[in-house]
Amino acid sequence: MSTNPYLYTLVWACGAVVFIILASLGLGRLARFVVRLFGGSKIKQSNTSVGFTFAAPWIVGFLIFVVAPMLASLYWSCTNYKIPNPPTWNGLENYTRLILQDKEFRGSLLNTLFLTVVGLPLQIGVALFLAVLLNQKSRGERVYRMSFYLPVILGFNTAVLLCWRLMLTAGTGIINQIIRGLSNAFPPFGYLNRLFIYVTEIINAFFISLNNGNFTFFNKTLAAGFPAANRVPMWIQTPLWSKMSVVILMVWICGTMMLVFLAGLNNIPRELHEAAEVDGAGSWKRFWNISFPLITPYIFYNLIVGMIAALQIFEPIYVLYRDSSTLAPSAYSMVYYLWRATFRFNEIGYGSAISWIIMVIILIITLIQFRLQNRWVQYELY
Amino acid sequence: MRTKLLTLLLLVSVLVTGCATATTQAPATEAPVVPTQPPATMVPVVPSQVPTAVPPPTEVPAAAPVALKVYVVDFTVDSTDKWLMDTVVPAFQKLYPNVTVEFVWGTWSTFGETVAGYFAAGDGPDIINLGSEFNGLYGDQLAPLNQYLGEAAWPEIKQFIPGTLENASWKGELRGLPIFAAPRFVFCRTDLMQAAGVTAQPTDFAGWVDFAKKLTTIDTTTNSLTQQGFVPVDAATMADFQWYLNTVWSIGGTLYKADGVTPNFDSPEAAAALKFNYDLKRAVYPDDNVGTLPPSQGSVIDDGGGAVCLWHSGWAAPAADSPIWEKIDIQPFTGDPTNFPNSKPIALSFVDWWAVPAYSKNVEMAANFLKLVFNKDNNEMYNQTMGLIPSRVDAQANLAGVVAKEAGIASQYGYGYAGILEPTKLQEILQKELGACLTDQQDQATTLTNIQDQYTQALKDAGYIK
Repeated sequence: MSTNPYLYTLVWACGAVVFIILASLGLGRLARFVVRLFGGSKIKQSNTSVGFTFAAPWIVGFLIFVVAPMLASLYWSCTNYKIPNPPTWNGLENYTRLILQDKEFRGSLLNTLFLTVVGLPLQIGVALFLAVLLNQKSRGERVYRMSFYLPVILGFNTAVLLCWRLMLTAGTGIINQIIRGLSNAFPPFGYLNRLFIYVTEIINAFFISLNNGNFTFFNKTLAAGFPAANRVPMWIQTPLWSKMSVVILMVWICGTMMLVFLAGLNNIPRELHEAAEVDGAGSWKRFWNISFPLITPYIFYNLIVGMIAALQIFEPIYVLYRDSSTLAPSAYSMVYYLWRATFRFNEIGYGSAISWIIMVIILIITLIQFRLQNRWVQYELY
Repeated sequence: MRTKLLTLLLLVSVLVTGCATATTQAPATEAPVVPTQPPATMVPVVPSQVPTAVPPPTEVPAAAPVALKVYVVDFTVDSTDKWLMDTVVPAFQKLYPNVTVEFVWGTWSTFGETVAGYFAAGDGPDIINLGSEFNGLYGDQLAPLNQYLGEAAWPEIKQFIPGTLENASWKGELRGLPIFAAPRFVFCRTDLMQAAGVTAQPTDFAGWVDFAKKLTTIDTTTNSLTQQGFVPVDAATMADFQWYLNTVWSIGGTLYKADGVTPNFDSPEAAAALKFNYDLKRAVYPDDNVGTLPPSQGSVIDDGGGAVCLWHSGWAAPAADSPIWEKIDIQPFTGDPTNFPNSKPIALSFVDWWAVPAYSKNVEMAANFLKLVFNKDNNEMYNQTMGLIPSRVDAQANLAGVVAKEAGIASQYGYGYAGILEPTKLQEILQKELGACLTDQQDQATTLTNIQDQYTQALKDAGYIK
């Protein structure tokens, strides 16, 4: 039997069905027993039993695929577990090493902070801008909407990776070619470009130096002065640009945020805009005083979801730097670091501890966001 | 009605499961299979056709069925895989009719997770395709195979290039067999060298730095390279752990001190190699604002690639039948005899191999399968499908052209990438630190101290250093 994979799969599938049925009936029985124990009526017993029986497949799945792995991960986080050796208990050693000794983890925390602080506002800003543009009900709106959402569907597959690498090549990539062309045609743009390069490199040098624990590199970058006229961003070529390249990919994939904003803008009653227009309000005033306050719940939603995604960012870094471990350290996030510890070094125990720390960080930041929402999120209309 | 339907469904499911359990209980591994036939190696398999030389197994004992599972990552789609399934497996099944062979075709991009999962679960394929560095990682978890593949049991083992067997061994025991030798050479475009008035490859560090500077050209309008004098694996960063280790070894350096476990990155050789790596980078990229060569579809030393010299394996070079080879000189890397008298020409050899995990319940049968796949003809055919250098010397007889030349250099100057403790950790440490050094984030002394400290800590964590 074991030699026939089809039969083997069939047996396992049937086994799974039987298990689900038995587990559901068992849970229903258990629920009935508990209600009876607390003196519930026969009808209540029956209702509870049926309810739990039908909810059981999900509950069982949740217990098996979420709770059990979480508990296993919690246990492993307190062990020295490196595949292929079995786990051995080491208490909180992984956590103390992570928090007190691991400089690289601190580096990944700083990188994640950069990507969240710089990348997320840009991502939300661009998504909102696109949503406002699409809300103008212009011709071909559906085509634009689809085009802007397409990156979400494409994700980060091999072809996308290749395209981005080609586009971000410092010397001959199309992005830098456009920058060069615009700089030559409009000198003020060239100056802006150099300013952008200067600011980006200074900020990144600061982050790298903070990570290294000494500011030699920052001082060196500062001493290099304002960039020369022929400078272009060195996107995926130097550590000073590795994080900004990730930010570009984050912004590129903002289609989901855009759709949420679009839904929010569509929900705003037209009369409000019409009344304001009659009163002589211009489009900017109407956006700032009507649209913006009314879409703050959507901004809040995107901020929460976006922040969780930014704190868990992995794919763009993996896509851009997986085969360039020279540049990766200047860009890797907490989750990339978790992946590296778990799957590159097979350190399951340490990786589990990292994942719990990440979870706590995300939980704290999300709670703070929820606490602060009363100050700026406008729910009244809804 | 509902109760009846439910009961019926339950009964059917239980019945199916029950039947399945009864069938899966066939003791696949309980009865050891004793091959009555001579070793598989006496059966040369001609890949293009079903082997005529296969002596038909006249008396095959009734044996319990055995299912061998093989995880392969080194294969060419529609070539190596077809040959293995259509030719090698039937030949093996003629010898062992009770054995079925199932292949799992993997990729290097998911290799780490997949194989770690097998070893963590203690369950998976009976043969796993590993890379050079994995003998240090999984060595203890692989089955010792000297009793099946050692010289006494299998005289053909003498045919393998000794350096390649180093990679397939751990703690004095063979753990598998090497598929190929993938040495790193210095490939140089003679036409581009001649155009710059250079007649031969340099032979010391200073010579290479001058060479790289002389043969690199930068377009001033785009501030990007149009020709790169030297490419050590990665043209953009020029920081590569293999290349760095190659330069250390080529000048007589070692990774460990006399005790065999303490890292030796505080040695003069490690420092000289790092300085050379840095100087070479700056000879090509005067600063980090110079753009790289445009991305090329093929090899960087092919026409349009933009590189003059490349240190890499054959698979990063142009196709073996390309006419460009008339303009390419191949040499081992010679080190720095001017400053380090112990320098020697080396061709750093990486080896991919098939290993048998200790958890396998079919170790002996897996070893028998290895003997067949790695006999002279099959080793030759396997490498033919991949365009690589066979690990067996006798399988190299029919090589021609550039591959033959590479095989000759590999046999003479091959230097095994083997015996490295905590290899993945070392690789990550080196890549990170070399990257930081070669982009001026830190100086060379700090880099060496970091490497030494971090690698020492990694070896302590792994229990190599007390």
